[in-house]
Amino acid sequence: MEPILDIKGLRVTFQTNDGPVEAVRGIDLSVKPGETVAIVGESGSGKSQATMALMGLLARNGKATGSALYRGQELIGMSERNLNKVRGDKITMIFQEPMTSLDPLYRIGEQLAEPLRFHRGLSRAKARPRIVELLKLVGIPEPERRIDSYPHELSGGQRQRVMIAMALACDPDILIADEPTTALDVTIQAQILTLLAELQQRLGMAILFITHDLGIVQRFADRVYVMRRGEVVETGATADLFAAPAHPYTRMLLDAEPAGRKLPPPENAPVLLDGQNVEVVFRSSGGLFQPADELRAVDGISVALHQGQTIGIVGESGSGKSTLGRALLRLLPSAGVISYKGRELTNDPAAMRPMRRELQLVFQDPFGSLSPRMTVGRIITEGLMIHEPALSARERDVRAGEALAEVGLEPGMRNRYPHEFSGGQRQRIAIARTMILKPKVIVLDEPTSALDRSVQKQIVDLLRDLQQKHGLSYLFISHDLAVVRALADYILVMKQGRVVEQGQTEAIFDHPAQDYTRTLMAAALETTRFRQEDPAPVLP
Amino acid sequence: MTVTPDPAEVVAVSGRSLWQDAWIRLRRNRAAVASAVVLILLGLVGLFGPMLSPHDHARVYPQFVRVPASLEAYPRADVVLPSFEREMSRARIEGEPVLEDGSVTLALQQDEPIDERILRYFQRSDLFINPRLDLAPDGLSGTLTAEVGQLHFYFGTDALGRDLMSRVFIGVRISLAIGLLASFMALVIGVSYGAISGYLGGRVDNVMMRVVDILYSLPFIFFVILLVVFFGRNLVIIFIAIGATEWLDMARIVRGQTLSLKRQEFVQAAEALGATKAGILRRHIIPNTLGPVVVFVTLLVPKAILLESLLSFLGLGVQEPLTSLGLLISEGANNMRGAPWLLFFPALTLTAILFALNFLGDGLRDSLDPKDR
Repeated sequence: MEPILDIKGLRVTFQTNDGPVEAVRGIDLSVKPGETVAIVGESGSGKSQATMALMGLLARNGKATGSALYRGQELIGMSERNLNKVRGDKITMIFQEPMTSLDPLYRIGEQLAEPLRFHRGLSRAKARPRIVELLKLVGIPEPERRIDSYPHELSGGQRQRVMIAMALACDPDILIADEPTTALDVTIQAQILTLLAELQQRLGMAILFITHDLGIVQRFADRVYVMRRGEVVETGATADLFAAPAHPYTRMLLDAEPAGRKLPPPENAPVLLDGQNVEVVFRSSGGLFQPADELRAVDGISVALHQGQTIGIVGESGSGKSTLGRALLRLLPSAGVISYKGRELTNDPAAMRPMRRELQLVFQDPFGSLSPRMTVGRIITEGLMIHEPALSARERDVRAGEALAEVGLEPGMRNRYPHEFSGGQRQRIAIARTMILKPKVIVLDEPTSALDRSVQKQIVDLLRDLQQKHGLSYLFISHDLAVVRALADYILVMKQGRVVEQGQTEAIFDHPAQDYTRTLMAAALETTRFRQEDPAPVLP
Repeated sequence: MTVTPDPAEVVAVSGRSLWQDAWIRLRRNRAAVASAVVLILLGLVGLFGPMLSPHDHARVYPQFVRVPASLEAYPRADVVLPSFEREMSRARIEGEPVLEDGSVTLALQQDEPIDERILRYFQRSDLFINPRLDLAPDGLSGTLTAEVGQLHFYFGTDALGRDLMSRVFIGVRISLAIGLLASFMALVIGVSYGAISGYLGGRVDNVMMRVVDILYSLPFIFFVILLVVFFGRNLVIIFIAIGATEWLDMARIVRGQTLSLKRQEFVQAAEALGATKAGILRRHIIPNTLGPVVVFVTLLVPKAILLESLLSFLGLGVQEPLTSLGLLISEGANNMRGAPWLLFFPALTLTAILFALNFLGDGLRDSLDPKDR
């Protein structure tokens, strides 16, 4: 079959302060009608920029050269006017972040009508039945009512469904999906992918799927392109590529699943951090005529963290797992009795200050958790300035170098600024910041979820080494069950502020008692394909 | 997705802070660099101009009232000889005076001995310096020479006969000083007030911001008149008046920045390390608000200069013989018909300052938040 999209020698170059940077270095790629093609690569591999170049959506300092033929039409260098006839109509796109890709000021019906009015010339009234149909197609309940909702009234998964409906509005030939499920919970991720697979079978469009997650690729795509540093290093049918990866980079990606198990601490290990009936209630002050709202983010949870233990806290977003982690360190005003080594932790910040040294926290976002205006050395030694004010600047500098070496970074990097480091390196810096204080308990709040798989594995290894070396106790918060299984010896499953299930890791994974736990695990660890094999192209 | 450079490449690059990045971008912006050069030049003019200028800004030249701007020296040749002849007729001497190389020479030939007291007439005149009488031994002939003062008024003189160029230099000095000091005052008060209010939040924030709202509602001119009535017309009062009203905007901007910054994880991380509130404000909040603040300051300086001009224009500003650009423009506006240069030069200087500051502010904004472009 003739390919409908044929890319040859596509290059994307960005002009930056450090001279030109080649994000895409001459890739060849083709998509046949009705086919699902995945582009896999880690961040920085140029996979998104390649598709942005097709759609004419590059940043202003970016320039694309090469050729991209859509049904014989050259897309690269096409005028904005002609490009608008193709994009949004025949080639459409869905983005990663459903929270920001819809305009919060317009009702979803109006936003869905946009492509229909622009490309099909439909009037507002005529577009409406088609929109209801589209919303029904993507599985939005009560489409007649939802059409007049604003984006903030929908959940993340529903917004992504609306984005898909918008992309499908004009019966596209090609749907480009740029990490469409990365920002979603695992359970919703599975629903969205199932929906995409179904829609493809019904409507017969081709899907160009961009992702870093090989699990999804294996379950979803017909053919795979593996990209690294702007080049395609390997390509082939999904089954072949997974069975016999030829390029070492592909093998590395496939092996990146965090491995290993954590053994429980000895029976007699003392309890370090003990929380009884911890509660966090967020109150929004009510208006003049309405009562104050209450949200019980953490609803009476008891946790006992032993020395050397790692407790994994899992659950969907909004289940209160991050809140619990912060509440246990009294970083949020919380009720309930919490004690560390037998001493009670109070909500008084001044009394907590000396205790903070041994109770540390690592954050999810390595880009947001380091102050952009400080050097790495100053970031790492901030804790020393607070807890060991007697140290001289020289001694602090030496300690910063040691801490960097401990997390596997060059000590010479301490005079750099955070923006000069990659995500994984930044997370190492964040870990160094806590390790310099020689803590006993570290709350790890999704420390790996913003990172690429291969980097994730390195961070997991680093955390495990540090734990063995220093006898640390972790509270590991994550929605990623594969990582939790590798790191934790005890698991709490949280839902809506409560613990629905807890137990030793093996026991939970082998015999989950609750449906909720089973759904979480199915979504994360399942390997069956979303679509039946051998799709017959059904043309509308 | 961002283009992250290869880790191996990062090692080779030396550490570069966001400020250095911004500086590199700023240097590429020609308008901003030109503005910075203009500002530095004008700053030097304000600092050293009055010292280097041949005239004191307060010196009155009664014989040169409202002379137009010119590159030639005053007095002009067509003025010198008639006034020399006028003095000659007073001294009752006759002859043909010759003007040459800035001095007037007159060959005298009389029947009676020449009285040396005729020199007094020339000594009394403002125009002539060092009149000298060289007599022949018989006392019947001689030469009378007098130097003519060579005064340059490149910008002309004002209605009282003061050199406009010196006055513009002083005006630049005063206006820039008011602009910078008032902005500095607004910066210090506004940043600390806004950061504290935003970071502490809750009730403290509420009270602090209501205070700002109340101060906002005071009319500026009324406030200045009150200050002037109580403390008299004084340069310091103008600094205080402008600084005290301009910090309000700054406080709001910084508070807004702080509100979004304190949700950032690096602030939470500092809290988790046990940092004190003061430490977090000093190390994390304030350095990170500085980008927008710097931009705002460059736009605040022209605003303060304009406010001072307005006050001076209304007669509430600096006092004679000291002057500011606003005051000079106000005087120039009164003499626009007869002496346009009195308006032209101060207005040109003020415009140059304002343009340069605004361009520099724009350039800074572009270089500090490259995403907003």
